[in-house]
Amino acid sequence: MRLVAAASVGVLAIGVLAIKLAELQVRDGVQLAGLARANSVHRVVLDADRGIIYDRHGTPLVENSPAWSLVVVPAALPADASARTTELAELARITGVDEPKLADQLLAADAYAGMTVASGLTQAQELALQERLPQLAGATIQQRSTRTYVDPLVFGHVVGYVGPIDGADAKKLHGLGYQPNESIGKVGVEAGLESILRGKDGWADEEVDAQGQVVKTLAVQPPVPGESVYLSLDASLQRATARSLAAGLARDHKTAGASVVIDPRTGEVLAMVSLPGYDTNLFTHGISQADYNRLLTDPDRPLLNRAIAGQYAPGSTFKMVTATAALQEGKITPQTLLNCPPYINVGGWVYHNWASYSLGLMNVAKALATSCDTFFYQVAAMVGDVTLAKYARAFGFGQAKSIEMPGVMPGLVPDRIWKQLQCGVPDLNSDSCRWTEGDTITFGIGQSYLLTTPLNQAVYVAALANGGQVLKPTLVHEVRDAAGRIVETQHPVVTSIVPASPQTIQAVREGMREEINRPYNMNYWFRAAGVPADGGGKTGTAQWGGSGLDLPTHAWFVFFAPYASPDIAMSIFVERGELSEVEAAPIGVDIMKFYRANQAAVRAP
Amino acid sequence: MRGRPAWRRLDHAQPVLAGILCALGVMTVFSANADWVRQVLWVVLGAAAYVAASAFDYRRLRAIAPGLYLAMLLMLVAVRLVGRSALGARRWLSVAGFPLEPSEISKLILVVVLAAYLGRQERLSWRAFGGALALLVPPAVLILSQPDLGTTIVFVALLLGMLFLGGARPAQLLSLVATGAVALPLLPHLLHGYQRRRLEIFFDPNQDPLGAGYNLLQARIAVGAGGFFGQGWLHGLQGQLGFVPERATDFVFAIFAEEFGLLGSLVLLAIFGMLLIRLLRSAAVAPDRFGELLAGGVFVMVLVQVVQNVGMNVGVLPIAGIPLPLISYGGSATITTLAALGVVQSVVLRRRTVVHREDSSPALGTITRRAQA
Repeated sequence: MRLVAAASVGVLAIGVLAIKLAELQVRDGVQLAGLARANSVHRVVLDADRGIIYDRHGTPLVENSPAWSLVVVPAALPADASARTTELAELARITGVDEPKLADQLLAADAYAGMTVASGLTQAQELALQERLPQLAGATIQQRSTRTYVDPLVFGHVVGYVGPIDGADAKKLHGLGYQPNESIGKVGVEAGLESILRGKDGWADEEVDAQGQVVKTLAVQPPVPGESVYLSLDASLQRATARSLAAGLARDHKTAGASVVIDPRTGEVLAMVSLPGYDTNLFTHGISQADYNRLLTDPDRPLLNRAIAGQYAPGSTFKMVTATAALQEGKITPQTLLNCPPYINVGGWVYHNWASYSLGLMNVAKALATSCDTFFYQVAAMVGDVTLAKYARAFGFGQAKSIEMPGVMPGLVPDRIWKQLQCGVPDLNSDSCRWTEGDTITFGIGQSYLLTTPLNQAVYVAALANGGQVLKPTLVHEVRDAAGRIVETQHPVVTSIVPASPQTIQAVREGMREEINRPYNMNYWFRAAGVPADGGGKTGTAQWGGSGLDLPTHAWFVFFAPYASPDIAMSIFVERGELSEVEAAPIGVDIMKFYRANQAAVRAP
Repeated sequence: MRGRPAWRRLDHAQPVLAGILCALGVMTVFSANADWVRQVLWVVLGAAAYVAASAFDYRRLRAIAPGLYLAMLLMLVAVRLVGRSALGARRWLSVAGFPLEPSEISKLILVVVLAAYLGRQERLSWRAFGGALALLVPPAVLILSQPDLGTTIVFVALLLGMLFLGGARPAQLLSLVATGAVALPLLPHLLHGYQRRRLEIFFDPNQDPLGAGYNLLQARIAVGAGGFFGQGWLHGLQGQLGFVPERATDFVFAIFAEEFGLLGSLVLLAIFGMLLIRLLRSAAVAPDRFGELLAGGVFVMVLVQVVQNVGMNVGVLPIAGIPLPLISYGGSATITTLAALGVVQSVVLRRRTVVHREDSSPALGTITRRAQA
């Protein structure tokens, strides 16, 4: 009897549960299933702080500063169509984004994830939004760090900038974990060292209710901040280089130029300037079309980093290669005397010296010091184009230097095969396809089809300074993690050794020493600046734009110092410079003046 | 040997039903992302305990009941002193590296102790009634102070149920209910903060949907989201995304209901229902009062846990940490439940049967109840 009663209680209890279950699962099931879906998890990206770029002594060249962005959760916008349109119109009005574009973006976005619709808001925009925020359902203001570049006109070409990811790259970069609204290094070290600077974004899985409100954080992977890069640049020397170059250009009414200062012992770039510069800060939030057009159409091409990507004929600065080849191949000795006539005849063509009178007999050192073209025409003819090209390549001409930024150009070392390939159908009877004697002898004075960059020139003069080691140029001194621990230190890398004996290099260096010590010429600048003319240098005024006598020219100066054990080497380039001794050399001397006066600070560890 | 061989006297349906429940349990624990391998181990150990308990003559339990009672008190005191804590409660003892939850084991011991005590009484005098209450108080106080509201509820239900089955007079039961009614307003003061909060939340879960009411709401959402046919095994949105808290233990039913729907849930309840009826039938065929009360006690133990657990999952009862027998993840609970079923099987095995005819069916109607030796 009691057992029957117990059974009844059991049946009754389970029956009640069954009814309740049916009620929940069938009657309310549809609604609760909807709740389960709306009750969704969204992965929110936690931005990693980008690494800072410093100079070698820890002077920051870029800062992470807070910036405000407008973030919208599409699902949390007003459900009513007209209220929604009104809100989008208001958001578009305050932030200045295109309204139809905004609506399209929001349609395509994850309905529950926050989408950045405008970044880099001005303070006025931020205030206006902040004030209206309570009425703007689904809109939030998010703080995100942004890059602010220090002195972009001085450091901009080296440091570069970050900018929003281009639509075309978005897909590819998404695979690497980039968000569509993220910034990425575009130019300069920011681009070249993207993987070091970027860090690793973290994430948080957040449970978001149907209103887009975060209900609960389920799991968090904290971001790993990017590593900081200590460039090999010295900020003060970089500024001095920019100042000297700008002053030199202004003095001679020139608008463009470049300079690379390098340590000939390590390959570390101490300064790298390309003028004109531009304001890289314009790019961090996406540059306006008007600003971009202005930069693109500027005849001085400020966006071009001439130091690494400007390719020009080296002119007379190439003569050390010709001299090295001739000496090493035994065509001449340091004592061999050759005449320096005002012109020579080759293959029915007349090739002139820069002087319209004979400079008399001279050895190779004197020929370098006086930059006698006709001397080197003769020597180039003895050496031959193939051997010349071999030595040019050994000095690093024609190779894109591997340095920590994209866009490095190789320059060009021409030879017979290259020239034939310039013609669609090789026709050996045409001078435009066939390598001529004239090509060989002008090759010998750094003309012909030869092209180089200021960076290549700096590596080349550094190799002459250090006795023939072609170093891998680098912009990075060391890399540190967010805690300040050094994770990477730069070690010098020798990419090739010039196949020349110490005596050969010595003879060539002797010519470079003579050049800067010529009285009433180069020596004047050193004396005027109070800088000892202890070192070696070579000027070059390179013709460009075809053939003829009155072609436009570029001015070069390459230099190393001190003579005995060089610790600095540089290349100076003045676009459209007419007289290298007057326009390019004084810039180099000016930089040396600063360097000598501040050597201890520049070289401090 | 009288009657039929042992294997023919077994209650065959009971272990089959228990096996189905264990299988469903492992499946659901797997889906809930808990350590299903361990759960399989618990089931295997539980099966061994089941066989051992079936083989063991239950009548010898009566003699060792006082010892078991003392052992239970010792365990509960030990857990107070050296137990491990989890989620703010000290409930676990570490025995040879395995976590042991004494409150689970004590449920079965209490059944044995009450059965032994009440089985001696022909008619329940007021004095014996008071004795039964006195037996309950020490373990109940120890468990409530762990704090473990769920097991306390099971204890009270066991007392009421076994008193009823043990022949308590209506006046005695009424007096208990009356005392309860008077004590109920005092209950909030006896409960720990979080237990009181759970009660409050139960009456209005929306007052704090993200805090204390979260579990309750999410479990209800999960159950509801199952619909009629369910989302499918391993496809429950709520359960898989980790919204449902304690999803392998207290809220395992919510996972089950979301994945298998109303259909699956009703089947599960039906299996429990059949198991419970087998237990009552075992009580009916028990050869003595002790055996009857043992089977009846196990019936109460399983019933109250199923009702409380499913009840809180569907939101008709407040949250109290009680496992769903054989479904929830947990070693002590699984092994204890299987051992309890084994004890009942032992009772069934030792019943006395009178066979009227060779060809008669072994229907329960042919079995004499409490046959005299």
